[in-house]
Amino acid sequence: MDIRRTRIRDLRKALDTKHISATELCSEYFSRIEAVDGRLQSYITVTKEKAFEMAAEAQKLIDSGKGTELTGIPIAVKDNICTDGVKTTCSSRMLENFVPPYDATVIENLKREGYVLLGKTSMDEFAMGGSNQTSAFAKTRNPYNLERVPGGSSGGSAAAVAASLAPCALGSDTGGSIRQPAAFCGVTGIKPTYGRVSRYGLVAFASSLDQIGPIANSAEDCAILLNTLCSHDEHDATSSRVAVPDFTERLGQPINGMKIAMPKEFFADEVDNEVREAVLEAARSLEAKGAKLVECSMPSLKYAIPAYYLIACAEAASNLSRFDGIKYGYRGEGATFEELIRDSRTKGFGEEVKRRILLGNYALSSGYYDAYYKKALALKQEIIKEYNELYDTADVILTPTAPTVAYKIGAQDNDPVKMYLADICTVTVNIAGLPAINTTCGYDKAGMPIGMSLVGKRFDETTILQLADAFEREFTPVLPKL
Amino acid sequence: MELKTIQHLCELSKLNYDDEALEKVASEMTDIISLMDGIKEFDLSYDDTKDNNSISFGEVREDIVKPSFSPEKLMQNAKSVDDCYVVPKVVD
Repeated sequence: MDIRRTRIRDLRKALDTKHISATELCSEYFSRIEAVDGRLQSYITVTKEKAFEMAAEAQKLIDSGKGTELTGIPIAVKDNICTDGVKTTCSSRMLENFVPPYDATVIENLKREGYVLLGKTSMDEFAMGGSNQTSAFAKTRNPYNLERVPGGSSGGSAAAVAASLAPCALGSDTGGSIRQPAAFCGVTGIKPTYGRVSRYGLVAFASSLDQIGPIANSAEDCAILLNTLCSHDEHDATSSRVAVPDFTERLGQPINGMKIAMPKEFFADEVDNEVREAVLEAARSLEAKGAKLVECSMPSLKYAIPAYYLIACAEAASNLSRFDGIKYGYRGEGATFEELIRDSRTKGFGEEVKRRILLGNYALSSGYYDAYYKKALALKQEIIKEYNELYDTADVILTPTAPTVAYKIGAQDNDPVKMYLADICTVTVNIAGLPAINTTCGYDKAGMPIGMSLVGKRFDETTILQLADAFEREFTPVLPKL
Repeated sequence: MELKTIQHLCELSKLNYDDEALEKVASEMTDIISLMDGIKEFDLSYDDTKDNNSISFGEVREDIVKPSFSPEKLMQNAKSVDDCYVVPKVVD
């Protein structure tokens, strides 16, 4: 069976009609992982033995007619989502040998469906970065050009799906970490509304911004995965009780009359011409299908980067204070308790993680709290207000996902400011807790994918999935030659 | 950023840097803070009564005793254990 960019519904059909068994399907993906991943470096841990056990169990369900949408479907999981008995490293020396004693709620949900775990994918350390180059282990490359970054922080998941080393994967998104790597690798990825998916078992970066979501070959596949991932969870106080719809229900329906707002600040000079043109062309194509384009403005975007980094790093500094080398994690040396903790953290964390802890503690410390952290919270209120105003006249907001296509490995090394500024198109979505989906809308002259983002109202993933699906039905993706 | 400020942040963060690395990180933090300073132009202040927070703590789960993790499972990732976590002596 050809597994290159195969969609879930085609895999489902092949499994249900006995064209292929769950075990054979697993073998197909492991063959490709073995052939390609030495160059791509998308996985940190490959769970071959466990996968075949899960596939055998899935096959029993299929044979007995008890299979559901994801039974026997192989899935890769970002390495910051806890998997009982399988290493979860967050791409950090700090958690190099950490084996979680429990499953994240999303993993429990997938297990109930009989999914098959292919392995754990590489990421920026503790999800802090947009290139996958801050990983302590596997510095993933872009399947369209191995000299370029795959994006991040869910770069391993996006690269694995793009290179057909998994039909779909889980990522997490704190400031664009699902959407931007999906854009760089030419695949589809959705960040659900904050609270839609349980964060229990997701290693925390910034708790008010983090959200788990799928990366896949289409909006339809993302919708299928969301149907399983979303649930209220008593283990997560921020988990929503809003009813979970069937996310596939509006796929294929016409988009006549749908109003799409395009804030002019997202199309400013910082955005590469080829990216801007591809997104504008996609907007015209949606207009031709009956959507209405609405010009608008979002003035607070100019403050979005500091607002995001101050909030995210303040929360990260607090969340990462738990890593002291005592109960789990890298253990350093020291004659005293204080020395032991400091040595563990100094040697366990990478440079970018340490920078963000320092920034977070700066923003929270006496004398700076009002000027930085509280000001960032004021900006958060303003950003939410501006989004609400935009949604008075529009159903969806369209922006580029990133100001550039995937850049060369090393281009942003040693320049944290440049790295932070590159997040401009994605961070406001997390600050406002909105859902947003990236889908590919073109390729630049060098053949690198260009992504656009469709941002929805809170808990309205269905509309952005419908719109992304409508676009994908007439867009022909170019596959990487890997 | 002044050296004493970055040294204070290292104390708060429980991180060590040698002199050379401290100078480098101080320079990087100066650039980062300069980027963050852009927020000072924004002239509205935070109003905690207007928080559009989606989190509701009104409906909490019932306080029911349930089986939980065994001590062995919870300690499986610790580097040094002897029926409990072992750390350097804190009190003489």
